[in-house]
Amino acid sequence: MLARVANNLFWMGRYIERAEHVARYMNVNYFASLDAPNELSQSRQFVLQSLLFMADDFSRNDHELNEEQVLYDIALNPDNAFSIINYVKLARENANSARDLISTELYEAINKFYHFVLNYPVEQFQKGGLYDFTVQVTENVSVLRGKIRGTLLHDEVYAIIMLGVNLERATQVIRIINSKFKDAVLAQGSYGDTLKNSYEWTTLLKCAESYDMMRRFYRETPTSFTTLEFLILNPDCPRSVMNSLNQVSLHIRKLTHEKYPQKHTSGFLIGKVRAKYQYKIIEEIEIDLESFIQNILDDLNSIALKLEKEYFHY
Amino acid sequence: MNLEYNIRYAAKNTYENEASKALWQFLIIPENNETQQLISDEFTNSLKIQVEESINGYNFRTYKIRPKERFDEVEFQADFKLIKRVENIFERVSLEYSKDEYKILRSLEFRVTNDVFLRSTALTKLPHQVEFQFDENISLFENLQNLNSWIKNEFTFKTNVTDIDTDLNHILEIKQGVCQDFTHLFIAIAKEFGIPARYVSGYLHQGNGYFGDSQMHAWVECCLPSSGWIGFDPTNNLLAAENHIKVAHGKDYTDCPPLKGVVFSSGKNETEYTVQVSAQQQQ
Amino acid sequence: MKKTNDNPTFESYNRDPKLFDEIFDENDNVRDIYKTLFNLYSEHSAKDFGRLNNKAKSSFFNQGITFQVYGDHEIKEKIFPFDLFPRIIDAQEWELIEKGVLQRSKALNAFLWDLYHDKNIIKEGIVPLELISSSANYLDQINGFDPPGGIYNHISGTDLIKHSDGKYYVLEDNIRCPSGVSYVICNRTALKRALFGVFNHYQAHTVTDYAENLLQILETVKPKGVDVPNCVVITPGIYNSAYYEHSYLAKAMGVELVEGRDLFVENDFVYMKTISGPQKVDVIYRRIDDQFLDPLEFKPDSALGVPGLMAAYKKGNVCLVNAPGTGVADDKAIYTYMPEIIKYYLDEDPILNNVPTYHCSRPDELEYVLENVHNLVVKPVDEAGGYGISIGNKLSKDEIEEVRKTLKENPRKYIAQPIMSLSVHPTYIEETECFEPRHVDLRTFTLLGADKEFVLKGGLTRVALQKGNLIVNSSQGGGSKDTWVLKNN
Repeated sequence: MLARVANNLFWMGRYIERAEHVARYMNVNYFASLDAPNELSQSRQFVLQSLLFMADDFSRNDHELNEEQVLYDIALNPDNAFSIINYVKLARENANSARDLISTELYEAINKFYHFVLNYPVEQFQKGGLYDFTVQVTENVSVLRGKIRGTLLHDEVYAIIMLGVNLERATQVIRIINSKFKDAVLAQGSYGDTLKNSYEWTTLLKCAESYDMMRRFYRETPTSFTTLEFLILNPDCPRSVMNSLNQVSLHIRKLTHEKYPQKHTSGFLIGKVRAKYQYKIIEEIEIDLESFIQNILDDLNSIALKLEKEYFHY
Repeated sequence: MNLEYNIRYAAKNTYENEASKALWQFLIIPENNETQQLISDEFTNSLKIQVEESINGYNFRTYKIRPKERFDEVEFQADFKLIKRVENIFERVSLEYSKDEYKILRSLEFRVTNDVFLRSTALTKLPHQVEFQFDENISLFENLQNLNSWIKNEFTFKTNVTDIDTDLNHILEIKQGVCQDFTHLFIAIAKEFGIPARYVSGYLHQGNGYFGDSQMHAWVECCLPSSGWIGFDPTNNLLAAENHIKVAHGKDYTDCPPLKGVVFSSGKNETEYTVQVSAQQQQ
Repeated sequence: MKKTNDNPTFESYNRDPKLFDEIFDENDNVRDIYKTLFNLYSEHSAKDFGRLNNKAKSSFFNQGITFQVYGDHEIKEKIFPFDLFPRIIDAQEWELIEKGVLQRSKALNAFLWDLYHDKNIIKEGIVPLELISSSANYLDQINGFDPPGGIYNHISGTDLIKHSDGKYYVLEDNIRCPSGVSYVICNRTALKRALFGVFNHYQAHTVTDYAENLLQILETVKPKGVDVPNCVVITPGIYNSAYYEHSYLAKAMGVELVEGRDLFVENDFVYMKTISGPQKVDVIYRRIDDQFLDPLEFKPDSALGVPGLMAAYKKGNVCLVNAPGTGVADDKAIYTYMPEIIKYYLDEDPILNNVPTYHCSRPDELEYVLENVHNLVVKPVDEAGGYGISIGNKLSKDEIEEVRKTLKENPRKYIAQPIMSLSVHPTYIEETECFEPRHVDLRTFTLLGADKEFVLKGGLTRVALQKGNLIVNSSQGGGSKDTWVLKNN
């Protein structure tokens, strides 16, 4: 496979995954805030800040935000680099250049998704279309996941897309954790709850589509402790960082045929990062969550760079 | 009698911003032909990249170099050794006047065979009539010799008044230029009359004080029905002979620049090069 | 069977007696070959066709079978409109077409070999030297070079029309990078999806064997010493208007679709950059023009090509398909000499007619053209895509004067031909929700390899959707039809 095309497939996977996480974060946060148990969590400004924080660059503004503008910027503003519409455009552009390698079915699904987003009436979106739009985005991505899994030969092409999907998923889940953690810190104490028992943990789980799974696993109300343990370390949760790392390490094996990868390879680095988190315990993470987040984002980034250098260089 | 030549070509490219990828093609290797024989060639560069040997579109030998690492400066050096046979051109040329020569020149067969070197190109297109006139009562060779001296008399050698894209319109106006301008002009006038003419790039031995600077030189070859391709050097009003070492030919300069490059870099870049030619008589 | 009696969707079908109508004869009777189809179609109402038409449109759109149109500010994605009424060609008629286009392709190949070697046809005064020497498409670089297998135009697209006399005429031979074959296959698929029942009543040849034949042709011209050649398709990229076709062909042949930046040349061999390192490339089906192939030889600022590619080609280490330099024979002025070219190389009479042509470069013919602009089609010799064409009987007085002026200024650039009336075919028109007659042509696809040849049994029937328009190019708003070549009963 061409290195350039491999790079495009990798990024196609990443952009598809990214579009979904941003859409779901918007949806869950916005609607959860409407009847949140504390005043701050209910405040429009608080939610908008959180959305921008997650979608953009982890920073909060001091000035007053305009709701219509923020929602439009994140969803449909084509001039905004971190908008969903841009991610879908990029996913489709990447699919275009690998069109001869992916199935007709997958391409058609991406193309339909692209035209859906491109033609979504801005007016309708601003007049209460947020729910409809974000749900349709996440459903379209589910269709794409099915097409990727079910209509592609599970060979190198599939492995590269899955590497992109899983690295991005781990990254996005960490970003969501980071945002909700900040929200929880800011909202704590405003009506007597502690950080540990914040309402924001439930929202966080819903943002990662993991609330039901988590309840089934722990059979208790989410706390900071159980939520983070579940989303970061539980290998059976399909959205957890650990699960994503396991997937990454599974799919890299399609690209390298060495049983024991050499130390300068991506395979080696992936194994090393995976081992690091496989034996992590939540007590260690909780001591300094902020440094942990920075650390894991750096690890994920270094894997992407290594893959680029080893396989996608053209 | 033979001459033994040592030729050194040295170039230096500098780039304002670091360049990542590049491919350079050098068209500087003397060709092997009836009068010259290449004994050895050596090519080195400061980036220590392996040199590939290839050909250009007209089958002349080239060097190609493709750096894999970033760079902002690179130096090249080539050394050639060759033997040049000293010949009397006049023995090869039919000096007898014959009307048939003109007849053959205009025959379809001759024009088709030499079609490529009869086509006008952007650099060898005459914008208007020039004063020089062909005289069909003397031989073609004599006419071309007259053309050679006409250019030498009417035009002044001067550097930095023209560049590689200068068209004949400008040259005819300022009446100045360098070897490649005079070569283009000669080619244009010869082709206009129907004589196949081509641009030759090569080295000039400057021991005798000829014009040609310390750079690559340019002259003309014309195809005469009776004698084949003969070289004329309008810059010096000479026939190309033992002092002219041929590298390549083409329709005009664009077919034979000594260095062509595809470089991925932003900003300005500069190329400097020098040529040294020294000769020794062989016993 | 008459046209209006039993078919409401043909209510507004007005047959023009001056034109050849593909499905109705001069007495308005349905031609034999179309009778079954016409009956089957009369079972559907106008509404049905409207629905099917919309379905077909969105199917093309969703599959991304589109091309880009460059406007002033934005790039628009458009489908190449597909028509629901297929064109049928019977076995006998097809035999003539197939033999005819193959004959032309072979003659052109022999002609190209001659032009780049001894040039006998010019020396013998059959084709004028000026035609070649003034052609910007003649490549000196391959003068004297023997392309692998001796083939130049591996892929030819021949455009045919049926004139009012009921005979086929060739309009042009496209031998640079003829496009459109992917639409032949898409049209078949789309018609099957929309009206599968009709296929049960006709025995039509398949069109899906094109890609496998193309791959075989590519393999016949592999470089010496290569056992199993690595073939690729090179495209200018995803923004090219024919990108869908490039990706379709690569996919259908199971070969890589590359861009110039994926390839590099080392020691005069071509390699592509893959995830497991460099991999040698032996045959390149190139869909970029000569001038962009190699910045070292041609346009120095071309980023589409591969530096050093021509040297690799000339050393015989890679084969380019079609060969560089074929453009010299893909010229409207050369076209006019086709009967002589066929006779000269094959010693045969042309099987297919050529449209009579006037060369504006010849003073007496220019004079005739200047006097008869209103009765002629005037075309530039070197423009593709239907640009710069003026059709005499559609011009105002001022426009005729304008054309005359242009011709006098630059006679070499133009040729003129009688106005050929393209035949008409029933075409679904959205505005009226009815079938109406529209002009059609036919592009055939011919493959030539070393000891192998193939003509696709089918073709691209292009249709001018605007009433009365004679230009059927997609860039000028044309559509296309599925084209059936019937098997011998």
